[in-house]
Amino acid sequence: MDDLLVVEHLTKVYARGDVLALDDVSFSVKRGEFLVVIGLSGSGKSTLLRCINRLIEPTAGRVLFDGIDVTTASAKELREVRRQMAMIFQQFNLVKRSSVLTNVLSGRLGYISPWLTAAHRFPRSDIQAALANLERVGIPEQAYKRADELSGGQQQRVGIARALMQGPQLLMADEPVASLDPATANSIFRYLEEINHQEGVTVLCSLHFLSLARRYGTRILALKDGKIVFEGLPVEIDEIRFKEIYGEDAEEVEIR
Amino acid sequence: MEERYYAGFMKKRPQFMSSLLETRKRVTVFLVDVVAILYVWLTASYCLTMLFLHGEGVAGLPWWAIIVAVEATALWENLGVSIGMKLLRVRLVAKDSGSPTLVRRLVRFLVWHVSGLPLIGILAMSGGLAWHDRASGLRVVRSEEVSRVRRPLYAQSWFIAVALLVLASIATAMLVTGVNFRAFFSGAGKTARIWAAFLRPDWSILGDGIRLLLVTIFMAFMATFFGVVLAVPLSFAAARNLTGGWIGRPVYFLVRTTMSIIRSIEPIIWAIIFIVWIKVGAFPGVLALFVHSVADLTKLYSERLESIDPGPVEAIRATGATQLQVILHGIVPQIVNPFLSFTLYRWDINVRMATIIGIVGGGGIGERLYQYTSLWSWSKAGTMMLLIMLTVWVMDYGSARLRERLS
Amino acid sequence: MEKTRKRSRSARPHRIWCALGDLKPRAFALLLDWASWGYVAYGVIYLLNHYWYKVHVNYYGTLTVPSWGWLPIVLGTFELAVLGQAAGQSLGLSLFGLKLLTTARDYPRPAARLGRFLWWHVSALSFPIQSVRLVQGKSLLHDGMSGTCMFALKEVKQDIPVRKPRRWYFSFRGLVGIGLIAFTFWVGWLTTKIDLGMLFGRASRSVYLWKDLVRPSFEHFATIDPRVGDTFWGATILGGLIQSIYMALLATLLGGVIALPLSFLGARNIMGFNALGWIVYTVTRAFFNVFRSIESILWGVVFAVWVGFGAFAGVLALTIHTIAALGKLYSEQVESIDPGPLEAIAATGARRWQVVLYGVVPQVVPSFLAFSLYRWDINVRMSTVIALVGGGGIGQILFYYKNAVGLIKNSWNQVGAVVVCIVVVVWALDYISARVRERIT
Repeated sequence: MDDLLVVEHLTKVYARGDVLALDDVSFSVKRGEFLVVIGLSGSGKSTLLRCINRLIEPTAGRVLFDGIDVTTASAKELREVRRQMAMIFQQFNLVKRSSVLTNVLSGRLGYISPWLTAAHRFPRSDIQAALANLERVGIPEQAYKRADELSGGQQQRVGIARALMQGPQLLMADEPVASLDPATANSIFRYLEEINHQEGVTVLCSLHFLSLARRYGTRILALKDGKIVFEGLPVEIDEIRFKEIYGEDAEEVEIR
Repeated sequence: MEERYYAGFMKKRPQFMSSLLETRKRVTVFLVDVVAILYVWLTASYCLTMLFLHGEGVAGLPWWAIIVAVEATALWENLGVSIGMKLLRVRLVAKDSGSPTLVRRLVRFLVWHVSGLPLIGILAMSGGLAWHDRASGLRVVRSEEVSRVRRPLYAQSWFIAVALLVLASIATAMLVTGVNFRAFFSGAGKTARIWAAFLRPDWSILGDGIRLLLVTIFMAFMATFFGVVLAVPLSFAAARNLTGGWIGRPVYFLVRTTMSIIRSIEPIIWAIIFIVWIKVGAFPGVLALFVHSVADLTKLYSERLESIDPGPVEAIRATGATQLQVILHGIVPQIVNPFLSFTLYRWDINVRMATIIGIVGGGGIGERLYQYTSLWSWSKAGTMMLLIMLTVWVMDYGSARLRERLS
Repeated sequence: MEKTRKRSRSARPHRIWCALGDLKPRAFALLLDWASWGYVAYGVIYLLNHYWYKVHVNYYGTLTVPSWGWLPIVLGTFELAVLGQAAGQSLGLSLFGLKLLTTARDYPRPAARLGRFLWWHVSALSFPIQSVRLVQGKSLLHDGMSGTCMFALKEVKQDIPVRKPRRWYFSFRGLVGIGLIAFTFWVGWLTTKIDLGMLFGRASRSVYLWKDLVRPSFEHFATIDPRVGDTFWGATILGGLIQSIYMALLATLLGGVIALPLSFLGARNIMGFNALGWIVYTVTRAFFNVFRSIESILWGVVFAVWVGFGAFAGVLALTIHTIAALGKLYSEQVESIDPGPLEAIAATGARRWQVVLYGVVPQVVPSFLAFSLYRWDINVRMSTVIALVGGGGIGQILFYYKNAVGLIKNSWNQVGAVVVCIVVVVWALDYISARVRERIT
């Protein structure tokens, strides 16, 4: 199948406060694509990503991953699906007090026998793979440091290394560079692009900087108040479309 | 601690000073290790003789134990990582950044007997290196957090030592306190009746209980009230950053020390002292709680005072305000909320203490409860316990909510 | 009272019927008000007893209630509570974050308040009808008829008109607060029978006590005193100290080990959000609260009966309190962890307990250790006095000598020696545990 991910009529309502976070969102992602979701804060980007791997339960709709229905999957099936979907986060979400190596190895938790992980014994091959991944993202010497001793950019790279350990088909990134400076943000996206081109991993990324979306994305999806307002190529976003997405008062600021 | 003091006081540390710092740390490491080894030996021998000689355990060590311990410590520190080294974060590295080899370690161990043991080597330290350091080419350095491959936890000798320490302590504790599983299980039947009686409270004494409970709460209130009134001024005297000069320093030490001593004596012990002074009743209970509260509150308040933000204080002083105004407008606004929070915390504790201080005659509900339990009237005791539980729980909840609001 | 009207919204519905929403805070607020007025009534009766009836209330007597009896007092305090709420000045309302406003979100006029007060009685008497209205989703009678409603302060904060603030100690609340404290002080002084005259008058008679206390006699520091007992642990000061420390150690270890799994059961973010998990959470939390309220000493009596007098009973007594106290501290810590890493680990496809082991545990280990050390400190203090009810430890010697005053020649000196040793040990442990805790966190 060409479509790795199909989202059908996804809706999420928060009962407390009657907030409609996602409103009948439907789209599909082909294998090998680099899909960027843009929109203002609160437009539903994070909710969308988390509904896809069911960190948040959607209220209605269906998510099909590689033919498997994620929304009705049992706990075991869900775990297997999640193994195939890796995720990196805006706040990096590393276990601060654990070492970098342990954080990266925790990406394999879905694959290794539970008894081994209870005793903190990871197979030698996994440890070597972890070190190799750390080298790939450029920080092999930080392996034994505590995770909170690293800078922001380095921590996000640890997050990427953790995602790589899963050998995923889909890599989801929830505003991965929102807390980083522009230069570091660019370097993180270069890694994502590398992974997308070399390993053929499909990337689904949410952003609020249009410039990065234009530079790295193969397709753009724009959300506003939980609805899709634009779906197409990056070049198609002209000023009118821009104001549609971001609102009347928005102006584009180039960040080089 | 020393670094802080020296860094502000002297910009450049003289050579002699820095080698003294190192010496103190190394001697501390050594002492910690020797004590740990002796402790494990002592407790292990006690346990073994108790268990296998069925009698009074021999709680002592032969005279040559200390020699063996010293030797073992030296060997341990040189060949691996000891408890003291782990706790105070020092490590042995080679001068020319390699891994210390076994040969070098043994050399260091042997030379140590000449230079470390008789303390000559330590006093002859120049540049922080003793003879055994020079001879073996190894250095003692502060260890950063782990930056090389970690061996499995169980292979590290300090971990084994800690495990032994803990096991020895548990075994000794069980023997010293007379843990007796047979009594535990055979007595269970007896106490089942007691628990059943607790759950069937005798409601006839409810009025009595409520009245005593009110007395108890008032006791706690008076103790806390007077405690706060006295502790606030005392805490200013006990704060290091607010007392200085030739009159401030001695006052600081005096107040700090006195309060620590008073704090170490439980209110119940204070109560028995005060009951001898004044007759039995609620008043000595209030006094006992008051004395302890002052000490505890002074400590808490003064610690908070020591960590205030000096910025606003500086700013107000710069406007030309008097000392009193500086305190009122610079310090007080910062500390009102934390002080209230501590007061509520102390109030909680005082309520609990007040419930039990009656046992020695301090008035309140504890007295009656103790009477009932001595007479084995468990139902009545159950009523009192229920009242105590309810009150303390409500007070706890209320003060937790208030403290949330304050911060 | 100057009211500056500032409306922040241009369009506002004219009449919003009073959404019932949370009945719980309103009920609790009323109960709290009733209780506080009841307390004031108690204080007034006590003062009446003391000054007017001239009855000296001691433990074995009862309060003389005014001749009308209890019922008018109960009803009167309740009325006062309702009145206070209608007037808008109430402790319960402020503590539970409620505010009485008109449905148009303005301060009600006195007539409306009075109307609310009167209609409240009608509501109370027609209580079944009101419940039906509740179920139907309509507002209560006294809300609707007076045009006022009890709002949650958070929601309406921006809408209410701004009043000019006065200094806090002149405001009504400030004055009432100070008044209450003064009132409590007065009643408390009488209740606890504080008598400064007795304190200073008997000072001269008790000088012998202080003279002996500060000249400690270490006669039986390490040698057994046959009058007290025949074991090293029970009859020497050194033995008693060692026994107390070991008692505390054992109690803390045992308590910590048991509290550890329980604390996860009592943490809201672990227990999941299904019905069973919530029940387990509530039961565990209730268990912690209940057993935390009773101090270890009181359990000592029960355990002295169970396993006999001695240090073992003390250990068990300390353990029960420790389990509850540590359980509460641990579970609060578990509830306050950063959920981000948990999310991340769950997203890799790990099982629930793996998320706990790799995400939760590393975050809480240092605090757990710190809490355990803190608890050990407290347990050592408790173990010094738990001999009073039959636990062992150094209290045994302490209380023996204290009771033997007058019978033995230098008993107060011995007591002084014991107190000195206790101070040294407790102080040292306090210092060490504070330093180690600093290091850990």
